[in-house]
Amino acid sequence: MNKVRKSFLSPLFIKRIKKFKSFKRGYYSLLIIGIAYLLSFFAEFIINGNALLVNFDGKKFITLYSDVSFKKYIFSKAIKTKEDYYEYRSSLGSDTVNLSDEKLIYLKSEYELYDRIKKDFDNHSVLRNIFDEQKRGDWVLLAPYPYGPNENLLDELGDRNPPTGPDGKNFLGTDDRGRDVFARLVYGFRIYMTFSLLLTLASYAIGILFGAILGYYGGKVDFLGLRFIEIWASIPFLFTVMVISSIMIPNFTILIVILSLFYWIAMARYIRAEFLREKSNDYVQAAMAVGVSDRRIILFHILPNSLTPVISFLPFTIISGIAVLASLDFLGFGLPEPTPSWGQLLSQGISNLSSWWLTFSPMAAMFVTLILIAFIGEAVREALDPKVYSRMK
Amino acid sequence: MGKKQKELLKVENLKTHFMIEEQKAKAVDGLDFSVLKGEFFGIVGESGCGKSVTALSVLRLIPDPPGKISNGKVFFRDRNLLELDWEEMRKIRGNEISMIFQEPMTSLNPVFTIGVQIMEPLMIHRNMGKKEARETAIKMLQRVGISSPERRVDDYPHQFSGGMRQRAMIAIALSCDPGLLIADEPTTALDVTIQAQILELMTEIKNKRKESAIILITHDLAVIAETCDRVMVMYCGKIQEVASTINLFENPLHPYTKGLMESIPSLTKKKKRLITIPGNVPGILNFPPGCPFHPRCSYRMPVCEKVVPELLEVEKDHLVRCHLYNGEGKNQ
Repeated sequence: MNKVRKSFLSPLFIKRIKKFKSFKRGYYSLLIIGIAYLLSFFAEFIINGNALLVNFDGKKFITLYSDVSFKKYIFSKAIKTKEDYYEYRSSLGSDTVNLSDEKLIYLKSEYELYDRIKKDFDNHSVLRNIFDEQKRGDWVLLAPYPYGPNENLLDELGDRNPPTGPDGKNFLGTDDRGRDVFARLVYGFRIYMTFSLLLTLASYAIGILFGAILGYYGGKVDFLGLRFIEIWASIPFLFTVMVISSIMIPNFTILIVILSLFYWIAMARYIRAEFLREKSNDYVQAAMAVGVSDRRIILFHILPNSLTPVISFLPFTIISGIAVLASLDFLGFGLPEPTPSWGQLLSQGISNLSSWWLTFSPMAAMFVTLILIAFIGEAVREALDPKVYSRMK
Repeated sequence: MGKKQKELLKVENLKTHFMIEEQKAKAVDGLDFSVLKGEFFGIVGESGCGKSVTALSVLRLIPDPPGKISNGKVFFRDRNLLELDWEEMRKIRGNEISMIFQEPMTSLNPVFTIGVQIMEPLMIHRNMGKKEARETAIKMLQRVGISSPERRVDDYPHQFSGGMRQRAMIAIALSCDPGLLIADEPTTALDVTIQAQILELMTEIKNKRKESAIILITHDLAVIAETCDRVMVMYCGKIQEVASTINLFENPLHPYTKGLMESIPSLTKKKKRLITIPGNVPGILNFPPGCPFHPRCSYRMPVCEKVVPELLEVEKDHLVRCHLYNGEGKNQ
């Protein structure tokens, strides 16, 4: 008898994963979305308006996320060199200043340099020019795509008026405020995916809990719970969100909370049905006969057996999470400015109809993302399907 | 007094009813019996006579609604189980009274390993840590005769055969060393050879544990004859006859019991046709008035159609519910 390889995952689950992998379209979609989402967390390294690293005065400043440390250094240095300069100057005597004094010239050049940098410490191209001029071994490391999502590019556009079309510098052009569209799309992807995943998580948690309690206890609890669901579901959710959004400025967390209050309903219904079916199984009675508490039966005995709807609906809930955030942003009730947002780009596209890239790029991004997730969903559903389609020969 | 001390479980006037389509179905209707320490007690009857409901009522596992234990007392170690609150009841289940179910195929949770499921009652009732519980689980598997338990403990139910699953169920039920083990048709779903092994295992367990008792619920008289010390025959939610196994098989008093005995195919006697009890078990919503067995009874008397007979002690420790042994019946 050869020893069965033990695994944390059940053999059935491994089999399903294998089956999922055999659906190439879904599998590659998962890989693409997964890698893209993972990479988006390192977007600052690739697409960033700030410099990544500044080497100055023999010190290295990591300006990837914030340039506060660099700014502090420059400002304190600027003040100090200015003080030094004037101190030395007054020490030379008030009236006759020997302008050819070497130390004075040096101090002056120092003070002027820091003053220049101080003015443009956040503009890396200016910094770069200054550093090149000085030839002191200072350098600036830029991101491969040196435009940030919230960075105003009006200076660089010169006399062109935003929105400007795609060119060699800005792949997808700029929006009506002169911000790079490509950078906004990428950062928007990260925000939209995170938002949708968290929304799905929150709404599933509520839905599963609610549905499990209804299905498990049944009777009056079920009756009252279902009536509550019916009443709750009849509230027009888009309007409610709009009303709430116009009362207070929603942020990321508030939006997730509000939306998950409406998104749990479908899952609650499915889980309730699963629990109604599952609880009549013998193993539940057996667990009760062993003295297992209700909570443990719900969470550890029945729930793992009723996850089918959760798994098969997961991708589609993520899709609708992205879609709903896009539509709220489009209507102006979503994430506040200047959050990079696909919906907001779309609404710009509506008001700038001749700038095709404003409509096209968020549409394309959304289309690709949603269709990839839909492919994943399709493959997941197929992998969980016990039916094998076969034909008599 | 001596007898009372030995009583482990005493059921008094237990009534469990189900509401089906606004009608009351009396699944268990006024049951009185007691199980002594060290006893192997059998409950026998046709399908739908209330055997399983009796067992579930003792553990208070009747689904409510539609079921309800409307009356009665169930004393276990002199505590009335029906008056305990839910939390106390939970501490009794699996710890002092445990149950083996009919379907080993479906009574194990498919998503957990056998080990986890044996460990669960130990961790709940004995406050064992994971490691200790696991060791105990391995010992339990060994005790119920599963070979190489160290390896099998991590198997999933689908990797076990039917007999092994039932053994695992027994291991779960015995893990906390309960005073009373209720086996609800433990062998019905198994084939005959496995059935014999399981029964042997249960007899062995019973012989080892003098202070505890086993209730075996079955419709198979052969199983009863092989294992039980005392038998209770049920029909339509009522006790029809209670006697020691030997007594019952040698001298069945109730016509129903007699009918059951005659329906056992015999190897020794030459018979052309197997005798059966005519008719069917009446539907649970329309039990006949009077003695519920009278429509099928060959000893039927007019009084049977009107009066429900009392449970009478006809001989010592041999109780029967039939007008034949009643003064009234004899007069007619």
